[in-house]
Amino acid sequence: MKYMIMTFGSAQEGLATMGKEWMVEMIKFMTTLDEDLKKSGEFVSAEGLADGSQAKTVRFINGISVATDGPFAESKESLVGYWIVDVESEARAIDIASRIVDFVKVPIEVRPVMDAPPDF
Amino acid sequence: METRIEDRLRELAPQVLGALVRRHGQFDACEDAVQEALLAAAQQWPVQGLPDNPRSWLVTVASRRLVDTWRAEGARRRREETAAALELRPEPGPEQDDTLALLFMCCHPALSVPSQLALTLRAVGGLTTVEIARAFMVPEATMAQRISRAKDRIRSSSVGLDLPPEPERADRLRVVMHVLYLVFNEGYTTSSGPALQRADLTIEAIRLTRMLHQIMPGDGEVAGLLALMLLTDARRAARSTADGQLVPLAEQQRDLWNKGYVEEGVDLLTRTLGTVPVGPYQLQAAIAAVHDEAPSAEETDWPQILALYEVLEQVSPGPIVTLNRAVAVAMVHGPRAGLALLGTLDDDERMEQTHRLEAVRAHLLELVGDLAAARESYLRAAKMTHSLPEQRQLRLRAARLS
Repeated sequence: MKYMIMTFGSAQEGLATMGKEWMVEMIKFMTTLDEDLKKSGEFVSAEGLADGSQAKTVRFINGISVATDGPFAESKESLVGYWIVDVESEARAIDIASRIVDFVKVPIEVRPVMDAPPDF
Repeated sequence: METRIEDRLRELAPQVLGALVRRHGQFDACEDAVQEALLAAAQQWPVQGLPDNPRSWLVTVASRRLVDTWRAEGARRRREETAAALELRPEPGPEQDDTLALLFMCCHPALSVPSQLALTLRAVGGLTTVEIARAFMVPEATMAQRISRAKDRIRSSSVGLDLPPEPERADRLRVVMHVLYLVFNEGYTTSSGPALQRADLTIEAIRLTRMLHQIMPGDGEVAGLLALMLLTDARRAARSTADGQLVPLAEQQRDLWNKGYVEEGVDLLTRTLGTVPVGPYQLQAAIAAVHDEAPSAEETDWPQILALYEVLEQVSPGPIVTLNRAVAVAMVHGPRAGLALLGTLDDDERMEQTHRLEAVRAHLLELVGDLAAARESYLRAAKMTHSLPEQRQLRLRAARLS
């Protein structure tokens, strides 16, 4: 089962108030996490996104699509990074997310990827 | 020609691996050596022709690879032992027992389910890591790591190439069958990636189950599982449209069904049912057979299906069986009777994680004529499913009612 584990803008905002040592620890933590997921045979992909201030949102305005500055969601609620893992159960995906939350102490979302067999 | 060579190689893979593990121990090193030998054969045989004894050829080449590896690792004692062993002619061993023992090993309960699937496909199925990674849509490195960890686990748990002792065997066989069933099911996933690659997994599951059935022709559930796969996969061509939309059973074009598979599945069932204790796979296969043998959806023998679900519920009770029985009840006694039975599942916690209850309810509400409620149920089911084509199908049905 594949799950997407997502972090949001609030995490980035939190980082701004952290000291240098914590930042170094955090980078080490993230690197180790990726390595662990690769070693356990659960890693599918992971990406970080540029800050929400770099985003453009294309909206349908007055009958035409128009690109506007900024993210779709509030900056704080905008997606800034994700992992996709292929794990045995939802519980395992939550374990992985909990490990991140224990470190960064901000909310992380875990959501199934739509790859289950249909049953028609 | 090349396809035939590949088929032959895949068939020989577990036999060669079994022979190697019996002779040298060390499942993980042997497994790598066999993969290399298979690769060498795939390159050489199409050019040079098949050797007189393909199995011996593979055993010899794989053994040499093993010695090379051990030599590289500097395991002198091992090397000498092996060099002596290599002098022996590969004995015509009990190949079938080896294949079976390998299946039990790869489906050992000490391994996680994803590991069981991956290792079975590689060690018994003879698929390469790249092929398995592609089938499960994960990076090759991830699959390589998953397989390597599974092998470590086998080593550290001292799982040997022996058939499980009699008292455990039935339980262990159930795990093997479940793994094969999951491989089959995985092949049914068409939500992402090219559908063809996924279909390969159903073909592989059928091949491995066929092999298991040849080894254990007297086991009714193995026969039942094989029949279930054949009778289900028979509908593959009719199950979705060219653009990937699902077609429900009742709307499928039946002339697209694979008649060979239907015939084989029905034959298998006819020979099995009644001769051995009945089990859930045989019953599910029998239900699939009733659908497959109906000339049209309207001519489906629903009373027969209902009777089979009633037996299934006794043999292997569970909310999903009740859910399916509700459909049969609706077809025999009317949709209201089906809805009443569904109502008994509303408080079942096991149903909270699945969209199927709402999907069936929606269908029955539609039959009753309560279109607004049916639409709500379709939309609720669409929110709950983890399958993209199914979500589209459910939304489409809801849209049709508005």
